Amino acid sequence: MKQKDLKRAYNNVLAQAISASHQYLFAGNLFGDIFVLRIKELDKGSEEPPGKLKIFPQGSDVDINYLVFHRDFLIVGAVGLIYGLKWNEEEETLDTKRSWEVKIPMQVDAVEVPDVNSMWLDSENSILLAGCGDGVILQVSLEDGRIQREYRGHTDYVHSVVGNTKGQIFSGAEDGTVRVWSTKQQEHTAMLEPYKNPNLLRPDWGKWIGAVAVNEDWLLCGGGPKASIFHLRSLECTRVFDFPGRVHLCDFVDDCVLIGGEHNHVQSYTLNGELQANIPVEHTACYSAVWQTSPIKLMSIAGFSNKLHILKDFRFLDSKIDLYGNVQGEENEPEEDDELIEEPLTIEAA
Amino acid sequence: METILNTQFDELQKAIEGIKEAKSKGQSTDEARTAATLMFVALKHANREVKHKIKDGRDKLHLEKCKVDLSRLQLQNLLYEVSHLKKEIVRCQKFKSRDTSLELLSEAEYSSKLPDMANDEEELSSHKQHLHRLDCELRLRKELDKQYSALLSSKQELLQDNLSHAQRYVSFAPALRTLQSATKPLHDALQLSLDVEWKLSAVVKYLPKPLYVLFIVLQSLQRVSEEQSFTAEVVGYESEAQMQQLLKEKKYPTLNHRQPETETGEQYKIGKSSLEEALASHPLHICLTIGAAGSNQLVLQIRYFDLIKCATVWGQMNYSSNSNSQPDTNFVHHLLRHLYPNDLGTEIPIPGIQHELRSSDLTAEECVRYLKAKDFGKPFCWLQSMCSIATVNSSMLYNHELNLNKHTKEIIDRIARRLNSWQRLSQQIRGLTYKDIDLYSLKENIYPAGLSCSLVQWTAITHEEFHSQISDVLNTSSGDKGITYNSYRAVIVRGSAKMECFIRIPSNYPMEMPLWILNVHWNGCHTSQNNSAIKMMEFWTNSLQPKHLEPNDHILYAQLFRTIYSFDIFLETEGSMQNTIEYNKEKPYISAFAKRSRSRPYKYIKKGSVYAFKQ
Repeated sequence: MKQKDLKRAYNNVLAQAISASHQYLFAGNLFGDIFVLRIKELDKGSEEPPGKLKIFPQGSDVDINYLVFHRDFLIVGAVGLIYGLKWNEEEETLDTKRSWEVKIPMQVDAVEVPDVNSMWLDSENSILLAGCGDGVILQVSLEDGRIQREYRGHTDYVHSVVGNTKGQIFSGAEDGTVRVWSTKQQEHTAMLEPYKNPNLLRPDWGKWIGAVAVNEDWLLCGGGPKASIFHLRSLECTRVFDFPGRVHLCDFVDDCVLIGGEHNHVQSYTLNGELQANIPVEHTACYSAVWQTSPIKLMSIAGFSNKLHILKDFRFLDSKIDLYGNVQGEENEPEEDDELIEEPLTIEAA
Repeated sequence: METILNTQFDELQKAIEGIKEAKSKGQSTDEARTAATLMFVALKHANREVKHKIKDGRDKLHLEKCKVDLSRLQLQNLLYEVSHLKKEIVRCQKFKSRDTSLELLSEAEYSSKLPDMANDEEELSSHKQHLHRLDCELRLRKELDKQYSALLSSKQELLQDNLSHAQRYVSFAPALRTLQSATKPLHDALQLSLDVEWKLSAVVKYLPKPLYVLFIVLQSLQRVSEEQSFTAEVVGYESEAQMQQLLKEKKYPTLNHRQPETETGEQYKIGKSSLEEALASHPLHICLTIGAAGSNQLVLQIRYFDLIKCATVWGQMNYSSNSNSQPDTNFVHHLLRHLYPNDLGTEIPIPGIQHELRSSDLTAEECVRYLKAKDFGKPFCWLQSMCSIATVNSSMLYNHELNLNKHTKEIIDRIARRLNSWQRLSQQIRGLTYKDIDLYSLKENIYPAGLSCSLVQWTAITHEEFHSQISDVLNTSSGDKGITYNSYRAVIVRGSAKMECFIRIPSNYPMEMPLWILNVHWNGCHTSQNNSAIKMMEFWTNSLQPKHLEPNDHILYAQLFRTIYSFDIFLETEGSMQNTIEYNKEKPYISAFAKRSRSRPYKYIKKGSVYAFKQ
């Protein structure tokens, strides 16, 4: 099988981000390629096909685990480091040179370089929170790239980090806990263990928490255990959702809850737990959903397949956009000619 | 004047009458008479004056007369001129310019060839335009004439040059001959028998021209190379070739070889009924054997067909007696078909052959079908290039190979390399099918602690069975390109878990690697469609590229081992979460899961004596 076909068949997109101008969508995969889609192309009317994507390879050794957009930078969470790439809106190009880099400090007893699995941006204070593969959450100042502090407590790697405006930080991890942190305290202020709730536990799938989301009053999380809502102050489980797969993605969208993961549908529920929309997807597993409401209302769901799924009203699938095979200038690439050269066969005497 | 005269006459009359009266009265008249006489003086004066005036008038009259005469003369002149001009006009009207008989450039050509001049004559009248054009064309013609003469002279020079060179070469001949005869003793001493060798290949000269070229190139390569990687020989009888040549000459005595079109055209007009006769191959063909004697050899039979002006190749395996291998000849066909991409040999690659065949009521497809049915093989482009035949491939790319030596060597090396790859592959398949290999001791088995899973079955399946598997991979292959596939099914078992592997081996192997599709049956059916861990596993197996292999590794075995390790790791990592633990962690990995995708440590890393599996 040719390298090109291999990438198309096994493209795994973990990260997406929308530019500050709301005009461009970035998608990064585990082959180290960042695709850029002009959002305007999706609004052209149905007759003409949307224009091709641009691709900015970061090198095959770079896993793009998470993307965040800040001012005119695309911030990439890779393995062992976070780096910024300048986005030039006029020319629609990402700088090939990294504008800055923040190395993730290795723990003394660590054997592996930690991944940057999840990032949350406090754009007012220019602070970036990064949930890492060694269970540590780092608070990085984007002004000077300094690591301001570490939040320690998780015993396994962090899947998801989010914050709110009140200075609270929420993290879900492979160890099965959701921890609530305050910027003012060293230890976590509260901890949830959904797998200990028999209503939530799905024994064969483990206790890990794959995704966390918060709004003013509620906390939403899921993973191996079922997706469920907790009240922020009382930390009581108030609602359980019937999403049938492992949860890798959940969020509050408008007044609803969007849940996705290792399942052939992404589902949208009301806060009361009623299924509102059941969106079929081609991904083996969904890992990322980004959306905006203006100037063009759209949501893009990405995962383990070569396609972005675009929803314009957040309830019905609108279109699917190919990634590899739909890139500008791809046709001109010369065909690789990699032949297996083996030693001559020696015949053993009978 | 008249009044003056009249008054004078009146006065005179009065005077005379006065005198008369005085006379009659008798008075003295003297006084009156003198007065009257004085009056005569005045009269005389007046008379003179009158005379002057008359003379004046005459002079004037004469002058005017002269003027009138002059203008009359001028008028006459003008009239003459008018008549002359009229005559001229008639003549002009009757005039015929030579330029009408000249063949001029067309309007478009003119403006294209002389664009700078064509531009600025918009406002000119048509006649002037015409003149302008003539002018320009004259210039153009003069230039062309200059060029023509220059070319003529250079041609002359070249001819002269050729002549002188030819003379020089001719003068070499006797010198060479003497040199040859002089070296004869040396030949004898070295026991080099040049004459004998040429005699041996006497049959060669009856080969058709392209095959002759090929044979000579092969011979020379064979002589140069040290190891005998291939041999070439001419198959057929000299007498038959001679016979055919004679027959041909007898049949068409008037046609010589310089008119092949008419020859083929007429020769085969009748030939529709007997395609066989028309497409008779030359009685001599080349038999090219690749592979060392004593081992498995690939025998290529290369024939030439006059009608379609190209060579064809048919291959078969010649298994050596001492190898225990079973004949599996399918791959020879694949090997030749995919030697070069887009060269499947399904059409005749000779420029303009369609047209020529039409004149003898044949189609190219018919010919190719016939060749296939008769086991004459296929007219691949690479074969034509070995015979120095110009080709046009399916994407209309013209190619005429001139560096025959290097090219032919490359092709033969390539065939030998592919042959080796295929033989190894079929050996691996055989080994897997009949289980006459020891998986645990194989070199590719990188993991020293051994495998927990075992391969229990390896069978060939049909294409349909393979395609009943639903997978993204099957939808993403880029284009068909005439590739066919052989499919196999392997079953790997560990405890209560079973994995089915569907393997597809492309006919253009080793350009493309075998493709694996994995299904795990354990607590339900897991495929790449519903389980990302299986999809990653499948990717890890399929991403094995030739460059990752170590020398002497077997691709299929290496892929199998990757799959087995991955399956082990899948079960061990998945098992760690189960209530009833069936599979314990046996493989050395640091973390069972990493990243948001919870990817598993399929990758094998070895540093010195420390090894581990990693994400």
